Amino acid sequence: MEYVSPEGLRLDGRRPTEMRQLRAEVGVVAKADGSASFEMGNTKVIAAVYGPREVQNKGQQMDDQALVRCEYSMANFSTGDRMRKPKGDRRSTEISLVIRQTMEACILTHLMPRSQIDIFVQVLQADGGTRSACINAATLALADAGIPMRDLVTSCSAGYLNNIPLLDLNYVEDSAGGPDVTVGILPKLDKVTLLQMDAKLPIDIFENVMQLAIEGCKAVANYIREILLENTKKLEFCRGV
Amino acid sequence: MVGLSLGEKNFIKGGIAQDIRTDGRKRLTYRPIFVETGVIPQASGSARVKMGATDVIASVKGRGGEELSVELSTALQRCLLGGKSGAGAGIDLSSLSIVEGKVCWDIYIDGLVVSSDGNLLDALGAAVKAALSNTAIPKVEVTANASSEEQPEVDVSDEEFLQFDTTGVPVIITLTKVGSHYIVDATPEEESQMSSAVSISVNSQGRICGLTKRGGAGLDPSIILDMISVAKHVSDQLFNKLDSEIAAAEACDDE
Repeated sequence: MEYVSPEGLRLDGRRPTEMRQLRAEVGVVAKADGSASFEMGNTKVIAAVYGPREVQNKGQQMDDQALVRCEYSMANFSTGDRMRKPKGDRRSTEISLVIRQTMEACILTHLMPRSQIDIFVQVLQADGGTRSACINAATLALADAGIPMRDLVTSCSAGYLNNIPLLDLNYVEDSAGGPDVTVGILPKLDKVTLLQMDAKLPIDIFENVMQLAIEGCKAVANYIREILLENTKKLEFCRGV
Repeated sequence: MVGLSLGEKNFIKGGIAQDIRTDGRKRLTYRPIFVETGVIPQASGSARVKMGATDVIASVKGRGGEELSVELSTALQRCLLGGKSGAGAGIDLSSLSIVEGKVCWDIYIDGLVVSSDGNLLDALGAAVKAALSNTAIPKVEVTANASSEEQPEVDVSDEEFLQFDTTGVPVIITLTKVGSHYIVDATPEEESQMSSAVSISVNSQGRICGLTKRGGAGLDPSIILDMISVAKHVSDQLFNKLDSEIAAAEACDDE
């Protein structure tokens, strides 16, 4: 099947190095300490952060750092065919673990010993790149909650179809069976914190695809910074500054 | 939720007895309701309802099915579907059949709680009603030459849609009994002080479609009858509010 037309356009009309439209909003769940919704094209996720708060399971309490917990779930209606099991299945458990490890690496957990930070990510609509959208949403939610972090964490995926590296795969391109590289970086520190790939790629092509994904992550980081600046201006205004 | 001190508990109970609740509402006043339809483009119909800080999303998905089946959770099911024979049901299930006895639409209604700040059943009931009003079932053409045993061929249209008729869909009203008074739309703090709560689903004709009681305390039958009549009275306001919000949301959606 042709994923990139001879004119160089993908199935949804994008160029190979073009990302989908990004939309983010901070403070969408009133009860949470911090929350955000993040959209990458048709993929929509909501992240809610509760904490730092008292550890619920005293057995897991750590005396020198905060406990970070993460739960990823997909709504029944998020995919084309209605899903039966929103969480507890292997894929959700794996993604929860991945998001937890990624966020834990950048949260300054030693500043909040004996406490717990809960990150809940809910996928409302899945159209490829849910893992990345969840990490981006979690970053915004953690910033909204005022939790100290080393840097923002942004994530983006890239693939290789019809011998062309493609940025930000949607569901159709992802299910094509080609390689799918997901990268998460700390943009200011310029460090890679998450790297996952399915399928096979020759090493030199892999380097190109990974670089493309990193560029995508940096673009997401710029967008997230703008959103946070706008949010801060709004807060200043509410405070009467 | 953080625990309440004795002083706070007395404040809540005392306030309700004097018809002034903690946030200034009267006993039978709802929090501001905000409805948005069409939030999930992939579904046949969807809606998001916010009552104060409670935020729920309901989505309706239709799929070609073999037998008539509707899946809901038990409380919502009792309220929407009525008795075993389908008598008094909120949704007209016959509108979902394509070929009598053979092929029909399966409707899956899913509710998702984004944020819980009390009164979930009411918010979910309202969201389901709004999502159903937003639902468009594609028109189906049946090829005429099917014999009586085989599966008939159906052609699902991509262009033409039928709107779901929701005039019969009821709303759910939860009455929470605190002390000797009932309140509507309780916050979690008020719910923690309740002796019992009764959720009643009423349709626009003022008929009761379903009833469920929660809470440990026993209730005198006359109190339950009284609660039902209060619920009917409150349902008029709620129907008007919801219908105008849904119409506004749909109008917004169409622009």
